[in-house]
Amino acid sequence: MSGRKDASPAIAEAAVATPPAPRPDDPGATDHLRVASLVLPWNRRAVIVIAVACVAVIASVVAALTLGKLGVALPDLLSVLSGEGSKTQHWVVFNNRLPRGLVAVGAGAALGISGAIFQSVTRNPLGSPDIIGLNGGAAAGAAAVTLVWPGLLPAPVGALLGGGIAITLVLLGAGRGFHAPHRMVVIGIGVGAMALAFVQFAVTRTRREQAQEMAAWLNGSLSARNWDHVWTIFVALAVFGTAALLLSRGLQLVEMGDEAALALGVRTQRVRLAAVAVGVVLAAAAVVVCGPIAFVALVAPQLARRMTRSAGPGMVAAGVFGALIMTVADLVAQYQPWSATLPVGVLTAGIGGVYLAALLTHEWRRGTL
Amino acid sequence: MTSRPAPAGAPTPAAVPAPSAPPAPVRARGLRLAYDQRTVVDGLDVDIPAGSFTVIVGPNGCGKSTLLRALGRTLTPKAGTVELYGRAITAMNNKEVARRLALLPQSPIAPEAITVRDLVGRGRYPYQTLLRQWSASDGAAVREAMEATGTTDLADRRVSELSGGQRQRVWIAMVLAQDTDLLLLDEPTTFLDIAHQVDVLELCARMHEAGRTLVAVLHDLNFAARYATHMIAMRDGKIVESGTPHEVMTAENVEEIFGLRCRIIDDPESGTPLVVPLAGRVARG
Repeated sequence: MSGRKDASPAIAEAAVATPPAPRPDDPGATDHLRVASLVLPWNRRAVIVIAVACVAVIASVVAALTLGKLGVALPDLLSVLSGEGSKTQHWVVFNNRLPRGLVAVGAGAALGISGAIFQSVTRNPLGSPDIIGLNGGAAAGAAAVTLVWPGLLPAPVGALLGGGIAITLVLLGAGRGFHAPHRMVVIGIGVGAMALAFVQFAVTRTRREQAQEMAAWLNGSLSARNWDHVWTIFVALAVFGTAALLLSRGLQLVEMGDEAALALGVRTQRVRLAAVAVGVVLAAAAVVVCGPIAFVALVAPQLARRMTRSAGPGMVAAGVFGALIMTVADLVAQYQPWSATLPVGVLTAGIGGVYLAALLTHEWRRGTL
Repeated sequence: MTSRPAPAGAPTPAAVPAPSAPPAPVRARGLRLAYDQRTVVDGLDVDIPAGSFTVIVGPNGCGKSTLLRALGRTLTPKAGTVELYGRAITAMNNKEVARRLALLPQSPIAPEAITVRDLVGRGRYPYQTLLRQWSASDGAAVREAMEATGTTDLADRRVSELSGGQRQRVWIAMVLAQDTDLLLLDEPTTFLDIAHQVDVLELCARMHEAGRTLVAVLHDLNFAARYATHMIAMRDGKIVESGTPHEVMTAENVEEIFGLRCRIIDDPESGTPLVVPLAGRVARG
């Protein structure tokens, strides 16, 4: 024991006696942001990383507006955005590229946050919504109400129900709920496969032209997005992203185990249920606007954690990295030289698959799977 | 304590404390504790004396950790009541309880990549609100807790990089940062080698000397007898004996509780009772 001392003074007295001035030898990983009476802990590295990632997101959206034959040149962009410019330029920006870019940002952020929530709740990087069948369930729900029983319910409601049913099945199948994350992963893969089978069944019942569109959506596609999609995802983000932020402190403590969190005064069961509900809604919203895009929810929180080097779910960082992955992937998908119409989901699945394989190998070696 | 619901089927009448004794910080009556359908403890009464270092001992599966969980309200009793300073713990706000009572579980999980300072800081949660997530007193409490546990030098290390003994001191620092008068520790020395066990128990003794009431579940009877001021011996979900180490640690009690035949001698170092198991045939040679 390095610091062997005699009877330590009572903490309470010492706390009062110690001057609250920050000490120079206290270079915390955590600093504190004070705005009036609001005091929030923040991590300097995390703030810098998030700021850089935000700039990168903006840069890739701008690139999406300016690149290509129909792209608006950078010097003209501001005037076009403020309503001037030619009719063609206006049409390209407002009817095509801006909604597409914004949907990419919103859906990426929603998936990143949803992934952070589920990875935190399951204490396992594999516990993300795309692996445990949530995205598949949402896709099946959307397909059910649009193709199999058209007009039964609006597509977003169908996606939400599908996602909710999928996660309920996973929880029931895993038996002990969130206490056996590895079982959730295995059962989730099964539920996801069943959901996709249902979607394929739905596709077989549709006419050919509709089926092609459906196939693109199923891979996850950002082509032909409109402002309805933009509003859908950003309203979902504003409401449920905020909820995720409010829940993140509780989730952080639940990561230490239920007993430790309960002892600190966290209502673990309530926090977890609320967080899962928020995660389901965010993932379903992303699926509604661009299909079950794979692996963004898996990779974004992991990337965020590594880059910010901080513990805890890190909702903001996960969201920003989700947006970044999505916008960059969509850029690459649009301007790669091999195929004229590569859905972004194919690209994320390709890259994410490699990451998943690496992660599985790692987890296998650690014995956590 | 005027109208306590009489625990059904609990024959033991509530013990009336001597008028001069300070009120028990934790008092439980008629506890029935169960996991799903499996009842571990039924009809149990217990008082934790104020200012004591109480150690709960007993064979594996006797319900000692279960009892500790109920006292620390991380397990809700199926029947009976737990009172914290005279108020029903279930009627209190969660954070309010956490400001008076800290519990260190048997195997808490250190989140990936967390630093020592951040982990200790999490002990301050009960004092924080959504708008005020950190204050000067939080910083001071974290600093003091790290100093008291000798973990100041580790502040910026990751918990996952630490040795078992260091890690346990960090977890104790976390519950110390909670700044409570009452500390519940569930087998704090398990998985540690003997030097680190002594290390952790010395730390507990210092926290006790500083004025806290400690309740710990321990496996090692001799360490329990050496450090405890009050012992509770359990078997099959019942309290067999409680009192000072000398009262509890008799050869008859040890045989009744653990089924181990032994002699009790005075610890040459501390004068506390020391269990010496009778030699088996092989050992006797």
